[in-house]
Amino acid sequence: MAINLKPVDVAVVGLGAAGGVAVLPLARAGLKIVALEAGSWIPPHDFRADEIHNNIRRRVTTGTKVWDEIPTFRTGPNQPTRRSAVPPMMNAVGGTSIHYDGNSWRFNPWDFKVRSETIKRYGAGAIPKGATIEDWPVSYDELEPYFDTIEYEIGVAGKAGNIHGKIDPRGNMFEGPRQREYPMPPLRDTDFTDLMQAAAKKLDWNPHRSPAAINTEPRGGRAACVYHGFCDTGGCHISAKNSTSVTTIPAALKTENLTLLERAHVTRILTDNNGKVTGVQYLREGQEYFQPAKVVFLASQTYENVRLLLLSKSKAYPNGLSNNRGQVGKHFISHWAGREVTALFPFDLNIWQGAFAQGVVVNNWADDNFDHSGLGFIGGASLTVNHEVHPIAGAAMPTFGRAPAWGAKWKAFVRENAGRWMGAYAQCNTFPYENTYLDLDPEVKDRVGNPVLRITSGPKENEPRASAYAAAKAVEWFRSAGAIEVATTPNTEGPVLSTHAVGGTRMGDNLETNVADKWGFSHEAPNLGILGGSIMGTHGSRNPTETMQALAWRTAEHLVKNWKSIAG
Amino acid sequence: MSDSTNPANTRVSRRAIIVSGAVSSALIPIAAIQAAPQTAASKTPATVFSPEQRRILEAFLDRLVPNDENGPGAVECGAANYIDLSLADYLAAEKTTFLDGLAAVDAFARSSQGAPFADLSPEKRDAVLTAIDNNQAPNLRGFFNRVRRLTLEGMFGDPSYGGNKNFAGWDLIRYPGARMAVGPEDQRMKTPPTLYRKPLYGDGHGH
Repeated sequence: MAINLKPVDVAVVGLGAAGGVAVLPLARAGLKIVALEAGSWIPPHDFRADEIHNNIRRRVTTGTKVWDEIPTFRTGPNQPTRRSAVPPMMNAVGGTSIHYDGNSWRFNPWDFKVRSETIKRYGAGAIPKGATIEDWPVSYDELEPYFDTIEYEIGVAGKAGNIHGKIDPRGNMFEGPRQREYPMPPLRDTDFTDLMQAAAKKLDWNPHRSPAAINTEPRGGRAACVYHGFCDTGGCHISAKNSTSVTTIPAALKTENLTLLERAHVTRILTDNNGKVTGVQYLREGQEYFQPAKVVFLASQTYENVRLLLLSKSKAYPNGLSNNRGQVGKHFISHWAGREVTALFPFDLNIWQGAFAQGVVVNNWADDNFDHSGLGFIGGASLTVNHEVHPIAGAAMPTFGRAPAWGAKWKAFVRENAGRWMGAYAQCNTFPYENTYLDLDPEVKDRVGNPVLRITSGPKENEPRASAYAAAKAVEWFRSAGAIEVATTPNTEGPVLSTHAVGGTRMGDNLETNVADKWGFSHEAPNLGILGGSIMGTHGSRNPTETMQALAWRTAEHLVKNWKSIAG
Repeated sequence: MSDSTNPANTRVSRRAIIVSGAVSSALIPIAAIQAAPQTAASKTPATVFSPEQRRILEAFLDRLVPNDENGPGAVECGAANYIDLSLADYLAAEKTTFLDGLAAVDAFARSSQGAPFADLSPEKRDAVLTAIDNNQAPNLRGFFNRVRRLTLEGMFGDPSYGGNKNFAGWDLIRYPGARMAVGPEDQRMKTPPTLYRKPLYGDGHGH
């Protein structure tokens, strides 16, 4: 029997990148919040400078319950179902903001209105076949104050490229206008970042340093980054990475309005017969509880957001919560991104160490930053090169046709070259399609007997073309930097399972095609707020975290301002 | 990017291509994931190999990365030790498949070269492994790739897992060494970073 707990104002499911920021405006407004997090606090001294621990065995990222919640995958309704060996989610206080690289971007103005801008510039025929793209119900300008809030609340280091329309080529000149400079300067320049910036400038491109949610100077009572080079898929041993676990969550706890429950595994969101959400049911140490709440915030990452809604069937929602129009799981996007171009240099790059976000980015071939007439695709990709190559990954390098894959010749080759190669990370604009969606797997279940999520992701044309176009630019960039070999492995399938997963509970004004309204609240269950990437309708050509955090803050603020009408 | 299951794409090892957003392009059958390893690190060094199995493995690793004028090979770096400790613990679910793989390599050596694998000359062992790598042996390519992948981990991973003995793997590729902080002078290109060769988490021998 479930134990009934005392009602609270807001129950937050998941205290990661999105839920972790949303609790702060709620707590400051005096609302009583209970946050249910499936993982635990991870103390900084548990974060190791150890590639096997972080990147190979994934000890930081995989936590306790995600292993058996890995979604299954198929390429079409009649195709075989397979499953990745690596979970794309993480359970911990701070969630994936613990192990991300800290790359902290605002999506560009174009991302918010891909459909209308594309039709305006290239005609309706330019919209990719089978795409279900809609303009977002919120514009960049409306979201700007929230980007600013996030950058200052958590701390983001970077160089502005556009302050009130004034362009600064040292920053990202393609970004939307911002109200002020970043709170901290970018991660430090190195010979490598200088080399790659100069190489891009030689091509008349506009390179700039990656914006990162990492302290580059002491801030918020925490130290500046020490560049030891175990940021990716690990946590920060000195708390210089501005994960929500060291920024907004502790700030919210200080108000004493937030109660945080670790190891609470939410299994259902419950509703009454009128379709209003009444609270959440969860398991903790073998006991089932019911936590009544006036408002529920669902913030458990795209995969779990969708799964929890589909699992929460009731009289009012026989096909899953907020799914009476069959839109939950639709418009799912797995970010098309990868390192398809690698290069070999005739000198040591010395990029072993440093932060993963210590990079150089080119945005000239992203979004609609160039004329697409006659190219046969829309969007493009940002290109990033960066520090932090771990030794196993470095030695597992491509051999560029210069050596076999093992034996004495291979050994001589890696001896010379393991520190002389680099891959360019291309992140493509990625769109929703009819053939790509999420539902519950009919066979595979998690450890408490609930079906896991199933991804169906059919073939695409636009993204591989954009990716190939950007890859050719990466080749030019590496050649300009002095590479002696450049190899391209075309990315034709995209990632099937990405940490950059968005959509599935898309926000939009049209009730028939969207789950959430423009504020992130369910169209059907008005006291259910949905936070995180799952409400996003397109994926930009850059990391999604800051944009989802800005949206999460905005949803929370909207609740505070409209408490009576939403909670009432 | 999970190519721990598919390690050696000879042209471009995609595991090497650090993909921050994309978690996994390598997919495996659902049944395999049920055996996903989740055990905590054991304190007791264990061995899963019989002396004969260990001999086959070392004869294999010795050809993957031989001991030569460029420095210690995979055996001297303790890669076999790393594999042993892993199979006894974190990779326990893989142990049977791995031991079967060693037996199959040996059987293939006997049938193609007329002698046990570990008794063959380096040239003949190379011939056996080349045939496997070229997919000329029945169902052994996957095992070959797995051994190669684990060898990289055993040579270049943190020494606390039992490999990378005396940091010989890191010396080979001039990896500066894991440390708690890195100054600007160690991020230069024209001057090499200082090498740090102290174990942060123990050396994997007897802890």
